[in-house]
Amino acid sequence: MNSRTVEQPVQIVMIEDDEGHARLIEKNIRRAGVNNPVAPFNNGTDALRYLFGPDGSGLVNKGKPLLILLDLNLPDMTGVDILKKVKTNEHLKRVPVVVLTTTDDAVEIQRCYDLGCNVYITKPVNYENFANAIRQLGLFFSVIQVPSPD
Amino acid sequence: MATQRTPLPNLQPILLGIGFALLVGISVATVYLVDRAATDTRRLTQTLSVEDKLSNVLLSVRRAESSQRGYLFTDDPKYLAEFYEAEPEARQLVEELRTLTRDNPARQATLDEITRHLEAKFKEMGETVNLNQRGDSIGARRLVLSDQGRAITESLRKVIDTAIIDEARLAADRTAQSQQTNRLLLYVTLFGAALIVLIGAASVMLVQRTARQREAARAELESTNANLERIVEFRTADLTEANEEIQRFAYIVSHDLRSPLVNIMGFTSELEALRTDIFDQVARLSAELAALDAQASEAANTGEIERLGADFDEAIRFIKTSIGNMDRLINAVLRLSREGRREFRPERVDMDELLSSITATVTHRAVELGARIEVGALPSIETDRLAVEQIFANLVDNALKYGREGEPLHIEIMGRTSGTHAIYDVRANGRGIDPADHARVFELFRRSGPQDRPGEGIGLAHVRALVRRLGGTMGLSSTLGQGSTFTVTLPRRWTPGNRSKA
Repeated sequence: MNSRTVEQPVQIVMIEDDEGHARLIEKNIRRAGVNNPVAPFNNGTDALRYLFGPDGSGLVNKGKPLLILLDLNLPDMTGVDILKKVKTNEHLKRVPVVVLTTTDDAVEIQRCYDLGCNVYITKPVNYENFANAIRQLGLFFSVIQVPSPD
Repeated sequence: MATQRTPLPNLQPILLGIGFALLVGISVATVYLVDRAATDTRRLTQTLSVEDKLSNVLLSVRRAESSQRGYLFTDDPKYLAEFYEAEPEARQLVEELRTLTRDNPARQATLDEITRHLEAKFKEMGETVNLNQRGDSIGARRLVLSDQGRAITESLRKVIDTAIIDEARLAADRTAQSQQTNRLLLYVTLFGAALIVLIGAASVMLVQRTARQREAARAELESTNANLERIVEFRTADLTEANEEIQRFAYIVSHDLRSPLVNIMGFTSELEALRTDIFDQVARLSAELAALDAQASEAANTGEIERLGADFDEAIRFIKTSIGNMDRLINAVLRLSREGRREFRPERVDMDELLSSITATVTHRAVELGARIEVGALPSIETDRLAVEQIFANLVDNALKYGREGEPLHIEIMGRTSGTHAIYDVRANGRGIDPADHARVFELFRRSGPQDRPGEGIGLAHVRALVRRLGGTMGLSSTLGQGSTFTVTLPRRWTPGNRSKA
């Protein structure tokens, strides 16, 4: 990303249960010229273990530049649960969370923002729109400032 | 109480009938007996009168005798006055007796005998008076002393006494009979009174029993009603829950269907993007092959590759079109389920204003089609504005969409009120709907007639769902090739409770 994070590139944590979606998202992010490492997870449990570490405190990722791409419909839990845990964790609460999901229910969108989600994007079915949205998200990633490590 | 409900016939009319018949019988008997008692009394009086008169006959004779003797003894004619009165008096009495005892032949015979004796007696007494008047007082006295007159009197007395005794016996008989009649009358009356009291008591008991049964039935009905209300409440709750479940289901299904669709669409597009690379590669390879093998015809190969490309493009196009259709359907279901969950906000809706704003938005299309839209005076209602707007916008849009070839389209919107409801008609002289499809057109994804207009078959399903949620009903009358009238009946005041359960 930008010059300040040269030593430690921002890692994208992608929590998406649909492998196809995950693949399409990654493809389009890459097409936008984003080369940051992507850690994909297809269920909530694995993602939580990665984010919060084996002790569940989140200390393991303290100070690491992260960006979370979150789907709300997961097989083992809802993305909202993960969002809530991240945003209430001492070490992870400043990590930007982009909710990228098929749900376009107004109540759900509101709830996510209330819980501290930074961006909410609905996946368009039309692939051109979808690809466009992801590429723009990629551009967004390339200019976004994540909190610098202490 | 309910167990006491025996299938006994209603005894009341029967009992009343019996009571009435008894009363009539008793009345007839009483009238008869009273009449008989009167007859008895009359006959008793008659007998007593006969007795009395018989005594009087004897008395008259005695009076005549004493008057005759007074005259003979004093020779004073003033004593004769009573003597002359006595004879007609006695005869009068006998006549009266004859009338009184007309029905008694024995008594008539007695009276004949009495008359005979009277004649003899008065003849004898008349002779003595005549002798004395002629101055023959000795002859008169001799006649008296002959005891002839006394013997006649004695016989008369005997006859009368016998008759009186006879009459007395008769009187006794009649008294007994009269008493018997009166006793019978008393019994009948008492019996009747007792029966009436009995029937009365039975009636009261029956009435009480009927009242008790009615009370029990009423109580049972009340509890059944209460039960029914509870059942209706349960059912309504069930229905509401089922409806919500369907809404949720529709939402989840349509939502979850989108995920795979994103993949299909996405990878199809990826494939399309790859196509250029693949075919370029193929073209390059075949060119290389052609260069190596001069026998192969490059032109033929190029044609082959172009044909393959066309097939590829066709397949991709079909897939993408189908995905587009599926996406539209899923979105429609999603929209319907979302509409179904939207909270209504009732407000005063000026329907004239609402319809003119709807027709204003379609003016351009109407002018292009040469259609005429007429809006009559419409009753205002208190309801959800957005829902009503969607209903009528859909109906007007449909009317414009399905016009008839070679016939200028004429759309009429009319309204009226009926009690607590407002009724709106949207009529158009369009192509009409086959009667077989009248129910079908309101179903989701179902359409009728030639499929020459764009649409998913959602509009009318949506309209009907909205009308029902607004507590109204949707009607359709249409003749194929003539036109259709959609009738929307809505409550004039929408309250959250009056959603129709249909």
